[in-house]
Amino acid sequence: MAATTIAVPQPEMPLSHELRGRVGMWCLIVAESAIFSIFVVAYLYYAGKSISGPTPREVLHVPYFNSICLFSSSFTIVMAEHAIARGKTRLFGIWWLLTIVLGAIFILGTAREWYGLIYRDGLTISSSLFGTTFYSLVGLHAFHVLVGLTGLSIILAFTALGYVKQEHAERIGVFAMYWHFVDAIWVVVLSVVYFITR
Amino acid sequence: MWDAEPISKPLAVPPVRDAVQPLFDRVHGWITTVDHKRLGILYIVYALFFLVIGGIEASIMRLQLIRPHNDFVSPQVFNRMFTMHGTTMIFFVAMPVMFGFINYAIPLMIGARDMAFPRLNAWGFWMTAFGGIILYFSFLGGSGLYGAGSTPDVGWFAYAPLTSPSFSVGHSTDYWIIGLLISGFGSIATAINILTTIFCLRCPGMTLGKMPLFAWMNMVTAGLVVLALGPLTAAQLMLLIDRYLGGHFFDTQAGGSAIIWMHFFWVFGHPEVYVLVMPAFAFVSEIIPVFSRKAIFGYPIMVGATISIGFISMSVWAHHMFTVGMTSYGNAFFVASTMAIAVPTGIKIFNWLGTMWGGKLIFKTPMLFCVAFLFQFLIAGLTGVMLSVAPFNWQLGGSYFVVAHFHYVIVGGILFALFGAFYYWFPKMSGRMYNEKLGKLHFWVFLIGFHLTFDFMHIPGILGMPRRIYTYEPGRGWDTWNLIITIGVLFQAVGILIFVYNLVSSYFKGKLAGDDPWDAWTLEWSTSSPPPDYNFATIPVVRSRRPLWDLKHPEDPDWKYE
Amino acid sequence: MQEPQIGNAEPTDVMLPAPTAWPFTLALGLALIFAGMLTNVSISILGAVLYLSGAVGWFREVLPHERHVRVPAEPEAETGTVPAREVMRLPVAQQVQRAWLPLKIYPISAGVKGGLAGGIAMAVLAMLYGVVFFHSLWYPINLIAGSLYDAPAIPTTEALLHFRLGWFVFALAMHITMCLLVGLLYGAMLPMLPTRPIVLGGIIGPLLWTGLLYHVLGYINPLLDQQINWYWFALSQVAFGVVAGLVVVRQNKVWTSENLPLAMRAGIESPGIVDEHEHDGEDTRR
Repeated sequence: MAATTIAVPQPEMPLSHELRGRVGMWCLIVAESAIFSIFVVAYLYYAGKSISGPTPREVLHVPYFNSICLFSSSFTIVMAEHAIARGKTRLFGIWWLLTIVLGAIFILGTAREWYGLIYRDGLTISSSLFGTTFYSLVGLHAFHVLVGLTGLSIILAFTALGYVKQEHAERIGVFAMYWHFVDAIWVVVLSVVYFITR
Repeated sequence: MWDAEPISKPLAVPPVRDAVQPLFDRVHGWITTVDHKRLGILYIVYALFFLVIGGIEASIMRLQLIRPHNDFVSPQVFNRMFTMHGTTMIFFVAMPVMFGFINYAIPLMIGARDMAFPRLNAWGFWMTAFGGIILYFSFLGGSGLYGAGSTPDVGWFAYAPLTSPSFSVGHSTDYWIIGLLISGFGSIATAINILTTIFCLRCPGMTLGKMPLFAWMNMVTAGLVVLALGPLTAAQLMLLIDRYLGGHFFDTQAGGSAIIWMHFFWVFGHPEVYVLVMPAFAFVSEIIPVFSRKAIFGYPIMVGATISIGFISMSVWAHHMFTVGMTSYGNAFFVASTMAIAVPTGIKIFNWLGTMWGGKLIFKTPMLFCVAFLFQFLIAGLTGVMLSVAPFNWQLGGSYFVVAHFHYVIVGGILFALFGAFYYWFPKMSGRMYNEKLGKLHFWVFLIGFHLTFDFMHIPGILGMPRRIYTYEPGRGWDTWNLIITIGVLFQAVGILIFVYNLVSSYFKGKLAGDDPWDAWTLEWSTSSPPPDYNFATIPVVRSRRPLWDLKHPEDPDWKYE
Repeated sequence: MQEPQIGNAEPTDVMLPAPTAWPFTLALGLALIFAGMLTNVSISILGAVLYLSGAVGWFREVLPHERHVRVPAEPEAETGTVPAREVMRLPVAQQVQRAWLPLKIYPISAGVKGGLAGGIAMAVLAMLYGVVFFHSLWYPINLIAGSLYDAPAIPTTEALLHFRLGWFVFALAMHITMCLLVGLLYGAMLPMLPTRPIVLGGIIGPLLWTGLLYHVLGYINPLLDQQINWYWFALSQVAFGVVAGLVVVRQNKVWTSENLPLAMRAGIESPGIVDEHEHDGEDTRR
């Protein structure tokens, strides 16, 4: 073709389709953040507007230990990612298991806290406005932790069976983004529920 | 290796049509498909089906209001009709049809073989579909058809406390919540898919600055869906907690707030308007240049205006709530932001006019609809600016003036652009041309019907007729106007019938369209009609915003000027 | 999706994602789980079963390897280009492009002078009106002040005839401000008016403005509306327009900097930045 003899500009390459997992997960994180932000706004708006029932200051105690466990699980999952990226599946399994244990400690801690709130303090989702907003916000986060734990456990099971290899590092990295997001949301929920409005 | 050919050449050989398969195999093929084109068509057919349903609901309302003291339907049924009409048209017509066109056209336009997540794409469609089915099951559920089932009757924005368990007994509101919740999950998934596709699957050379405006605008659409559907989902989860678990989010007796539901709903609801109108802008931005035989005027400005509309649309929601009563600062902010959004929108209108200016205009049916879109969307925008003035809004908020305004946006703007898109891409989707005469007839009949209905709907609004009333007293000056409005509906219904007939008959009997009937410039016209499963045998390489122009005019390619 | 072939590589078979019913199953399961909340818990249980099987099926669809189908690609045909043909480009020559934007404009001082001169002419006419009809210099001044100042308490015609210091100061400030602003507007607008700037800007513009005020003042301030003699009002507006316009057009124009290259506007001095021939003989610039 005649036109091609003059200097045709080199086409620039757009983003690679290899990145679609990460881009998709980022979009999901934005969508989830929108959902969480509405629950957080509702919690802040309704703080102190409860007519009956116990106040947050009377019944809530800052879950330092649980939070430390959840936050450190972000570190262990990063170590696991590094391990699988270099093909060390055994090391990966250990860090991965540690992540699950830390996540499980968090969720058990939440369960214990709720048990106390329901049976000792009489705070349920229908008892007062505070109960409604508290259980919805913390419960929404706990639901995400549970989903994350399910995913983590499935991957652990496949690791134990020897199916997880170095080539899956990218997919595991994408899943780890979700876990980091769950941790990051807890920073917001923790500060709103246990520090700002207590 | 890219130097040799600017883009891949179109396929001249049409794909071999599959031999007629047994019905079961064909249905199985549609259910299991992960092909973006077939899913796009599924979305579009699904939306067309609900368009007819929603239109019937609107016609029932208009028949009831044709004269004062009419008793065509009971007040209860009337409430159900306007609730279902609004919900259906927004969630099960407008959004799916837009997703359908986006699904169909985006991978073709950016030179990809499919969406980024083909299976998620299928999941998104089926979630939307099942959401609609659950909502419409409400006609059968509960007390059955005799009492119109337990169909939702709380209005499409379901204001609290009408939705609380004490005022909405039974499951009617739950049908509304759950139907929308499920389709909402599907919409979020599809939006994520669209964003990822546009980010990651563009063909070599298609930088963001060389993407068709269609892709740009729908990227903003998908971004708005990702940001705006979350709040709706969250608010509906709260309502579910209130209704099923005895929560107190919107229970004013226990310290909750009914106003906050309005805020949460409109934080979704206003961006949703732009979710619907942005694809319409995208259609117009593709059709007007092709039928003006000119490149789009002011491409970078169009992109900038699109993005700024996206941002501003997130901060205007409370203009739906002026009549609720806010602080003067709140009012002032939302008045100003609402007026501000008219600026980028106006820029777009001028750019479309600039594209037509001096062009060689070809008034085929798609172009006719786009020209009507320009006029009608302008008027809709002007009444929008009127309503954005808080004191004016206090007078006319909740009246038929508002109904006329947003129908002007949705019918006069969005639906007209959508009809244009149907006629524009029908040859690509079906491989056959539509009937131009019937298309023009559809345009004129529908145009007359639209103006009869919605021009005159402003007047009873100014005269004080509130929306959502099931009947009215004679002698208030509303009677004649309502009669005219209902007559207009008849024209619109005839127009829709012509449209559907045209689509169906042309699909079977239309003459073959060829790959590129419009002499257009975007990549979807470089492949055959209908495109093969893989879209492009070789992935194209582009160097300008009009890759097909470069291909057709190798002596004068666009990339010399961009 | 497999690595795409790029450019003119020979098309071979294309790998596409295999059709699968699992997304459908998963969606149906999720929908039924929720539908159970509306109908019966057994529906939810059925939904949960479908959901789980859909999840497992989908998982196996993607892992360990995505399932694909091989679709034979049609060979490419060597057709499709449109023969070369004449293409018209819209003229974008500098003169055409600049048809509606002035190359030379009035300086800001022209607008200020015009506004002040017009304001004096208007004031003289208005006071003449006051002296002739009401035997009072202060009547038109009080009217100006009354349009905003203390508006609800506009007194009778009688009371408007007397000098009041507060009203006088307010009216003077308002008159000068308005005249300056309108003068500046004239300075900016007159070069852009297509023909006969004095007729358009000096007579038709003020008449239109008078007409607008005539119709809306009744809504804004009905009491003031009754006090105004609209013929004299129009006359004084036209006086302002003509005088201000005449003063403005007598000023020297200066070059706009809009049509200069960015480098010159940024103050970079270097030979060859601008085509010297373009502005030959135009010494008014700088």
